[in-house]
Amino acid sequence: MRRNNHLLTVLLILVALLISSSLGVMAQDDDFQFVLADRIQEKVDAGEELVIRVSYHDVSNEFAPFIRAGVERAAEELGIDARMIGPVGADADVQVSEIETLLDSVDGLAVSSVSTDALAPVIDRALELGIPVVTFNTDNPDSDRLAFAGQDLVESGRAAGHLMAEQLGGEGNVIITTLDAAAQWSIDRETGAREALAEYEGINVLTTVNTGTEPQEIYSNIENAMLANPNVDGILSLECCSNPAAGEYVLRNGLVGEVAVVGFDLLPQTLELIQEGAILATIDQAPEVQGFEAVNMLVQFLGGETIADVDTGVGVYTIENLDEVLQD
Amino acid sequence: MAERASTRQNGASVPQTLRKLLAAREAGVLLALIVMCVFLTLSSDAFLTSRNLLNVGRQVSLLGIMAIGMTFVLITAEVDLSVGSIYAISGLSTGMLIVEGWALIPALLAGLLIGSFIGLINGVLSTYGRLPSFITTLGMLSVARGVALLLTNGQPVTVNVRQGGDPDTIDQFYQLGQGQLFGQIPAQLVFFVIVALLAWALLSLTTYGFRVYAVGGGLKAARVSGIRVFPVKIWAFIIMGFLAAMAGILSMAFLPSGQAGRTGVGLELDVIAATIVGGASLAGGEGTILGTVLGVLIIGVLRNGLVLLGISPFWQETIIGLVIIIAVAIDKWTRTRRAG
Repeated sequence: MRRNNHLLTVLLILVALLISSSLGVMAQDDDFQFVLADRIQEKVDAGEELVIRVSYHDVSNEFAPFIRAGVERAAEELGIDARMIGPVGADADVQVSEIETLLDSVDGLAVSSVSTDALAPVIDRALELGIPVVTFNTDNPDSDRLAFAGQDLVESGRAAGHLMAEQLGGEGNVIITTLDAAAQWSIDRETGAREALAEYEGINVLTTVNTGTEPQEIYSNIENAMLANPNVDGILSLECCSNPAAGEYVLRNGLVGEVAVVGFDLLPQTLELIQEGAILATIDQAPEVQGFEAVNMLVQFLGGETIADVDTGVGVYTIENLDEVLQD
Repeated sequence: MAERASTRQNGASVPQTLRKLLAAREAGVLLALIVMCVFLTLSSDAFLTSRNLLNVGRQVSLLGIMAIGMTFVLITAEVDLSVGSIYAISGLSTGMLIVEGWALIPALLAGLLIGSFIGLINGVLSTYGRLPSFITTLGMLSVARGVALLLTNGQPVTVNVRQGGDPDTIDQFYQLGQGQLFGQIPAQLVFFVIVALLAWALLSLTTYGFRVYAVGGGLKAARVSGIRVFPVKIWAFIIMGFLAAMAGILSMAFLPSGQAGRTGVGLELDVIAATIVGGASLAGGEGTILGTVLGVLIIGVLRNGLVLLGISPFWQETIIGLVIIIAVAIDKWTRTRRAG
């Protein structure tokens, strides 16, 4: 009996502690003030090599090599220990636990979130522990991150929408394709694209096709969508990978010049399809620069400088200026 | 097997044959497929066109080739979860070798060998190694994908003249995935039909086929009757590995690009689902090639139909899941009734 009473008291205290601490966290959120951890400050003062980890939301996707190249260039040029980490395949749990494991050993973190909601708490925890955190590629606006390096996704969606409208002369039926209609980056780009297309009276967005991420699946879904909507004049892809699939479909079915394809990124296949005339325009987001800036911002911050968001911009490539990338 | 063949030779009357056809395990699946096709023909103009049907045929071919391999594995009462990764590593390897300038046949053989070899390892570990195949192949799923990522360094692999390789070889390679027989029938579909016919012959007409069913139906009985169980199972895994590699290579020839982090991810579940819808059982001993082909067609027609009808992609996932459950449930319930 007495033992039970003790247990109850302990439980009550625990609950009280939990409630008060969560209230405390909530109160802190409103006016968060970052204070650099003592151990990191000592390292900076002693001029020791800084350890920075760049957590990318999927190290197995086609952008990871470019991000990694940027991170490695930064490590070399800035003379620090910087490395790309992250899950194989977009997996929020893995990304969160990897960051948690590193909280006692890193001097700075850059994060591109699998999901805003899943990563915000661990980003804020790192900041409370005095570890500077910036975001890159995919921002995490719900967290207290210090700054962001990447493309304004809504803005890049708008740019794609306007490009499509120009190609169609302001008139026609458009379908939008995306690897993952429910992902934050996709929602942002789709919002921008639809906003821009809505400015043209003659343009009609028929549907958004959720293609999935498996290459055969992407192609089949585009194929089926085109059969279901025979009056399509333009395919607007929101990312890297349904873009060349749409171009390939147009090329194979003799629709070059009839169906306009506009999309994102500079995969080798995309560049070739631009040369074939099957993709009319693609928007680059400079992933190498994003990787570099993620590290660079942290180094600047640790060096006592104030940092602001870095916009890696919207680079539009068509057959006219393709030479700029092909020479690399 | 032998019994069925002998009655057929004795010449059954027409009603008897019909009744036997309806009682066959495949009848329910066939009926479901016909109902779906009739419904789609009535509700969408785009469904019953030769172009759409050939599209469906192409879209199900790679899944079908793999599901045929899975039929062998499931009948022997094992399972292979690594097929999506075998599909990726084999296709990407062949693609990379062609870009490196290899001739077509050696590059194809290399890809097929990689797949068959992974199948061999899966088989040996799941028999002589005494590990459950669920565990062996679950591990292999990660190992093969990891190696594919290492080989490609995470970069997409695209097969075309600008990336390198011999133009004629690349053209021949494209023919495998993009070619059309009589200018109409997709090459992938032709491969699917050939694989299905060969597999049917192997499973229904040869001693090996008989042993596959014997091993899955009852291990002890098979052992007592002198069948060496382990080699039968290992060969089933090798056939699976070979066919997964073949599908991966054809995919590479069709697209013609792939990426180790995405190619074939999650495919194992689609393959198993199609095989199960076709009447194979995870408990072993059951399944036919005809059933599997029908199962694959059901999934393919369903996906195609849902898109043609303009159903939201989230509903599509839900409906496909429900169809899998319902198909297996109907099969189970009718079987209990037949048995009782």
